[in-house]
Amino acid sequence: MKVKESLFLKEKKPLLKKLLDELLAGYEYASILASDSIGKIYNVSKTGTNIREDANLTERGFCVKICDKGKTAEYSFNEISEEAIPGILENIKKNLIALDGAIPAGIEAYRIDKLDDERICIDESTEYEEDPEELGNEKIIELLTRISEKGRAYDERIINCSASFSYQKYTKMFLSRNKDMTQNVMWSAAWLAVLGSAGEEIKDSYQPMSILGGSEILKNLEARLETACKTTIELFDAQPIEPGEYECICMPDVTGMIVHEAFGHGVEMDMFVKDRALAQQYVGKQVASELITMHDGASTIPEVATFFFDDEGIPAHDTIIIKNGILQTGICDLQSAAHLSTAPTGNGRRESTQRKAYTRMTNTIFEAGSSTVEEMIASVKNGVMLCEASSGMEDPKNWGIQLMVNYAREIKDGKFTGRIFSPIVMTGYVPDLLKSISMISDKMEACGTGYCGKGYKEWVKVSDSGPYIKAKIRLG
Amino acid sequence: MTDKILAALAAEKVGEYLIKKTVQKSAELFFIKKTLDVKRAKEFTQYEVTVYSDFEKNGKACKGQSSVNIFPGMTESEIRGLIKDAMFAASFVANPTYELPGPSDNRFIEMESDIAGNTMEENCRVMAEALFAEDNDSDAFLNSAELFIYDDSKYIINSKGINAGYRKCSVSGEFVVQCKSPRDVETYKDFRYDSLNAQALRDKVKRTIEYTKARAQASEAPASGNYRLILSEDYVATLFDFYKDKADASYVYAGYSDYKTGENVQAGEDGKIAGDAITAQFKADVPFTSEGIRLIDRPFMDKGVLKTITGNARFASYLGIEPTGIYDDLSVECGTTSVEEMKKKRYLHVVNFSDFQMDSFDGHFGGEIRLAFLFDGEKVTPVTGGSVNGSWFEVQNRLTLSKEKQNDKGFEGPLAICMDDIPVAGK
Repeated sequence: MKVKESLFLKEKKPLLKKLLDELLAGYEYASILASDSIGKIYNVSKTGTNIREDANLTERGFCVKICDKGKTAEYSFNEISEEAIPGILENIKKNLIALDGAIPAGIEAYRIDKLDDERICIDESTEYEEDPEELGNEKIIELLTRISEKGRAYDERIINCSASFSYQKYTKMFLSRNKDMTQNVMWSAAWLAVLGSAGEEIKDSYQPMSILGGSEILKNLEARLETACKTTIELFDAQPIEPGEYECICMPDVTGMIVHEAFGHGVEMDMFVKDRALAQQYVGKQVASELITMHDGASTIPEVATFFFDDEGIPAHDTIIIKNGILQTGICDLQSAAHLSTAPTGNGRRESTQRKAYTRMTNTIFEAGSSTVEEMIASVKNGVMLCEASSGMEDPKNWGIQLMVNYAREIKDGKFTGRIFSPIVMTGYVPDLLKSISMISDKMEACGTGYCGKGYKEWVKVSDSGPYIKAKIRLG
Repeated sequence: MTDKILAALAAEKVGEYLIKKTVQKSAELFFIKKTLDVKRAKEFTQYEVTVYSDFEKNGKACKGQSSVNIFPGMTESEIRGLIKDAMFAASFVANPTYELPGPSDNRFIEMESDIAGNTMEENCRVMAEALFAEDNDSDAFLNSAELFIYDDSKYIINSKGINAGYRKCSVSGEFVVQCKSPRDVETYKDFRYDSLNAQALRDKVKRTIEYTKARAQASEAPASGNYRLILSEDYVATLFDFYKDKADASYVYAGYSDYKTGENVQAGEDGKIAGDAITAQFKADVPFTSEGIRLIDRPFMDKGVLKTITGNARFASYLGIEPTGIYDDLSVECGTTSVEEMKKKRYLHVVNFSDFQMDSFDGHFGGEIRLAFLFDGEKVTPVTGGSVNGSWFEVQNRLTLSKEKQNDKGFEGPLAICMDDIPVAGK
């Protein structure tokens, strides 16, 4: 079934067009992004049950972008009516344009030649099997309660098992002189977090899932419980790893974190504009093993960051970033494209209509290869399998790696020894890691339960995915 | 709109509810080097309505809750529909019952700030000038910066009679300093002040320019081993998040923390504190919590002894303690050792991590070193790379707190902290 259009935005569209016409009469460029979204989160754990609209995923709002004598400005608001239009125009003049007066001596306003405004009409929807609203709160909570209780009863050392489900259904509309675009999208995510306690230390294991779709995802959640509980108990016997370089097999979520954190942030081209990304100097050069082909795009795979146009009215792309180890290009938002005299790639995204658009990743992947996972494990003489990506931080300037994984399983002579190490910090230099990739599995998995920040804010939904990869990585 | 919401709540026969209204105005400037790239302004009004449903399940009294967001322009029937759905959802949320907070100080409080009396343009000008005031070095300079002036008004109404609110203005942002020679490096910093603290921002930019120049000289990671570690500024505040989390009623209720008031939570197994004992206070950064609980300054730790467990109405009720509300800000008493004295012996002073983390569950803290100063007993060398991986459980009873103070982003306390024998994975 297709996601339906917001009736609210449909009703407000004539008013938005009227506002746009008024803006186009005064400024050389004007566009309006309108959003109507609902995002809900369900959670059951020992601490209680929660059903709430997620304030970060739920909004009705509008963002006007104008170009005033080449200078870019934006105004966010959430009240639109016939009577409100003069006030909005007045606020733009009085509270936005007037900020030019705050520029300190020695600072110039950047003037843009032209913002992309190609003539495009889009009216598209993503598909789903089951609408969470039709499944209903009672059934969702019943399922999550059963899973949470089963998890807590698994072992006396398990102190909590949190079962969660969230979804977002949104309509976005983008209007400019030449664009009239509407998209209706729904994604869903579910995850389990199991915590165990032995003395002062608490161990945990996490099982995430996501889809472009609805509550049909919940059918597969319970099957993940055994792994999460078993891993939590195993972690009580985990030891610190001896720091050093290891032959590593990365599970798909760890590969995904490498794709996203270690390399993806470095090809966001707003960083090129600021001279903050080393990748800028490596376009056309080898940065990874010949086995590696990397993509990013809202149309790359059907996942949580799939859409038909971005928050600046640029159609979705599937950008090939690395082809056979050679860096091809970065990804770009509209403003950065103007700075760099290049074309935007559909990666201009906002946390909400209240926030600025930046270059952001969407669905970021390494392509699958040809090895089986069994062949990959059998090829490891002395190494580990890295499991459960926990956190990572980008370093586009220096390509330094700082990634945390929950645990590693020891492999000797092609077999798991049963030893487990935790926690694990991955360090090193990104191209060294990527060039050391010697095997890639024929299967890949995608996941998008997390959010991506720009620095420490501006959270947007992303997915990252990949196959199992074999690489040499420095662990500590 | 508030009247419309109240009417919808009455029409749907909702007995207990909480309405939170937020009006946010902002002015935002985005700089790239010495140009203003984009300017933004915002005026947004939002309502969050939480409804509560009392019922019995398996003989136990339960109170379920569910929240919805209401936006300007929503019709009465839309609001009623949302509230009806939320009440239905709340009837499946079988949490043990508790009492909602009642009124204690029904006022609208204008929080004092020099930001409030100015226009957004004036506020932006003062802070933008401070941001660029020290940007005079051709080697190390501001690469980019973002500046936000916020004017927030919050209103809290609940069914127990709370009808309070406050206006709070603030300035926040972030900047990146770049130094291109001899190595091209950068440093990220963020800031938040409740007043036009232009001098503090200016000093922060100046210090960051100096650190970034030092980082450009650093080329090697420290050798792997255990170090006498000094952390300063933001990282000190992050370490104290450990105690804030552990003293949260939701952590205690879930079994993630075994903290009890009256117990020394800092002492080692022998019951003693070998280093500086921690004395701290929770600071009220706003007059009311989002539930409408009056937030006041409270004692947190006294020489390592826990004085207060904080909690919202629900978790405080489950533990049978006073609902204090949840605190963001903290004040920690400084020590008696100067940073200069700390630096008389060998040390590794990390001034910039790529991302510093304190895990309140397992007590591990650390991150990848972007810049540290290594003193080997003879000379100080800037180093970069490697990572710190410490255990707070092992070091908390042998800390040295600096006598110098810092005050930024809701943390008032020692500028630096020194810990012996911390593992560092390096070259």
